[in-house]
Amino acid sequence: MAGESDTFESVDWEETGGRFSTLSRRDRWALATVVGLLAAFVYDYAILPADRPTITVPVEWNVTQLDWLFVSTLLALLLYVAVPLYNNRRLTAYYWREFRKNRMAILSLVYLLVVFLIGVVGPLFLDKPVLAVERAYQPPVFTSVDAAVPVDCLGAVVEGRCQGTMAHPLGTTGDGKDILVLVVYGMQVSMKVGLISTLLVVTIGTAVGTVAAYGGGLVDELLMRYVDVQLVFPAFFLYLLLTYLFGGSLFMFIVIFGLTGWGSIARLVRSEALQRAEEEYITAARSAGAGTLYVIRRHLIPNVSNSVITAATLLIPGFILFEASLSFLSLGDPTVPSWGQVIATGRGDLSTAWWVSTFPGVFLFTTILAFNFMGDALRDALDPRQET
Amino acid sequence: MRWYVVRRVLWAVVATFLILSVTWGLLAVTPNPAAEQMQFQAAASGGSAEAAEEAFEARRGLDRSPWVRYQEYMTNMVTLNWGWSQSRSQPVIEAIAAALPYTAIYSVPTTILSILLGLAIGLYSATNQYTKSDYAATFFAFFGYAIPNFWFGIILLLVFGVQLGWFPVVFDSDIPFFSLGMARQLVLPVVVLVTGTIAGVMRYSRAEALEYVEAEFVKTAKSKGADGYRILTRHILRPAAVPLMTILVGDILGIFLAASYLVEVVFGIPGLGQLSYNAILAQDTSLVLGTTLIFTFVSVVGNLVQDVAYTVLDPRIDYGDR
Repeated sequence: MAGESDTFESVDWEETGGRFSTLSRRDRWALATVVGLLAAFVYDYAILPADRPTITVPVEWNVTQLDWLFVSTLLALLLYVAVPLYNNRRLTAYYWREFRKNRMAILSLVYLLVVFLIGVVGPLFLDKPVLAVERAYQPPVFTSVDAAVPVDCLGAVVEGRCQGTMAHPLGTTGDGKDILVLVVYGMQVSMKVGLISTLLVVTIGTAVGTVAAYGGGLVDELLMRYVDVQLVFPAFFLYLLLTYLFGGSLFMFIVIFGLTGWGSIARLVRSEALQRAEEEYITAARSAGAGTLYVIRRHLIPNVSNSVITAATLLIPGFILFEASLSFLSLGDPTVPSWGQVIATGRGDLSTAWWVSTFPGVFLFTTILAFNFMGDALRDALDPRQET
Repeated sequence: MRWYVVRRVLWAVVATFLILSVTWGLLAVTPNPAAEQMQFQAAASGGSAEAAEEAFEARRGLDRSPWVRYQEYMTNMVTLNWGWSQSRSQPVIEAIAAALPYTAIYSVPTTILSILLGLAIGLYSATNQYTKSDYAATFFAFFGYAIPNFWFGIILLLVFGVQLGWFPVVFDSDIPFFSLGMARQLVLPVVVLVTGTIAGVMRYSRAEALEYVEAEFVKTAKSKGADGYRILTRHILRPAAVPLMTILVGDILGIFLAASYLVEVVFGIPGLGQLSYNAILAQDTSLVLGTTLIFTFVSVVGNLVQDVAYTVLDPRIDYGDR
């Protein structure tokens, strides 16, 4: 379907002709990308020596397991969100008009894009913050603190008060780590947690939901009873117990969130799919000889995708907050500078160094707020049936 | 309806059973940190790590078959024999019982406050839809929903505890319950928790009340000259109360449990959350398990109460065979 010329003549008969060709051109692209990524992954792990970084030009970047997952997530976003929006310009323009009505949502979108871009690019250029006791407790720029607080004041000392410098615009922690750098690294951590877990959750949830709705009978019963059990566990305590037992590397967090958080999406998809399956166009497609897989892929999933996208946008802030909370409880990986962890390190210095906990918290709060605003506006734009 | 309630209760029992089984399975497949420590110590002092492991397993009864261990675990769980807390040198159940009053003393005022305030603001927003105060209330709801509780607690401590000195920074558990001093040091935790939970109550009560603001019977009441307060309480709140009640129990409980855990850690209140946190730090597995399970059971029971209340309070709902 190509934008303006969305007519009978523009239907791609090649695509609908073959009985087995349930894959669209986009899916073939996705498949090719997956194969390419897998090849690169195998090359990185099997052929390159472990101590050599994967990429040296233009910047040195040793791609970790998590980075591979993150890259796949971004490609999936590109292929299944950006490309369809671009191909379907008329619909995109309509969504945009609806979305634009909410000014807070536009602001949130811009903010999130900035956080996302800085989070993805920043850590490639900034060195990881290192322990430097001589730079401990530097105040943020334009503020000052009693000269006794920092070990060695880098800025000017005026009337016994240490002034902040542009070298550390948001100050430093008790370990002498620059807070701005920590915040930038934290952006990447939060984006990874939010996006990768959500992609896992959406994939598993959609698969389980459609299979349950279409399989019916015993399959449906078993899958949905399993979802019931999974949802009985309050999410926070399930994550708490699992990270306590299995250790909390960032990779583990994402796996745990992704593998246990899909219950609500599966329920949503199932109920939506059951409603859609009753509609005439599905009956028409079936009587024209379309197979189950074809109907699911071409008719069911595109029609439930709007509510799934909305629900997913509202899931992201939850995952980010869970990760921050667990890192705050020192269950996370101490080598990964996440916002929650920096907040935790600043807790003990509240009376002397207020800035350590404050800045990462501000970013955490605004990110969660922005995702909530955006989810709300998306619901209004994508899902006119739903009234709140 | 009775049949539905019976089945709902049975499902809660089955769910509890499944949760216990799953946690047993998780414990069985993960290495015990205490055992690892013993092995490390044995190896460090020149002994054999395997011998230490075997001795540890024999002492804990881990050399028996999984089925026997599973049975024993389940019996212990049901008879409230939840094991021995290594870090506190007392039975887990005693540690939990000692911590419970501290959790209760701030949760009860929080629950009452957030329900009353949330309902009041939500109803006010609904009857004054699209006014400035409605927007302000919506914004406040978003704020409360999005702000990370633990960070908000830290900021309040920083401003009102450290800078202004109005409230104590460190929680003093020696102050007797039901005293002014106790009330004073509970102000900040209660404020943090209320801001977090009130958002849900407000948004739901606004949405529910909006369904009835334009209803025919409300217009009739208005045309017959009923005053605003009477319309609000008799014609809007009454039908909205049923769905609201269920939301209050289920969703709010979920947010509240997680929030109270973190808030206790931030404010140093020696309740269940703090107990669990210290157990995590001390790698005291049986205490971690006990404290997480308590929260989970509260949530299971809360959901049960919610569903049963729904059927009892709203005779319109017909559950048929499902």
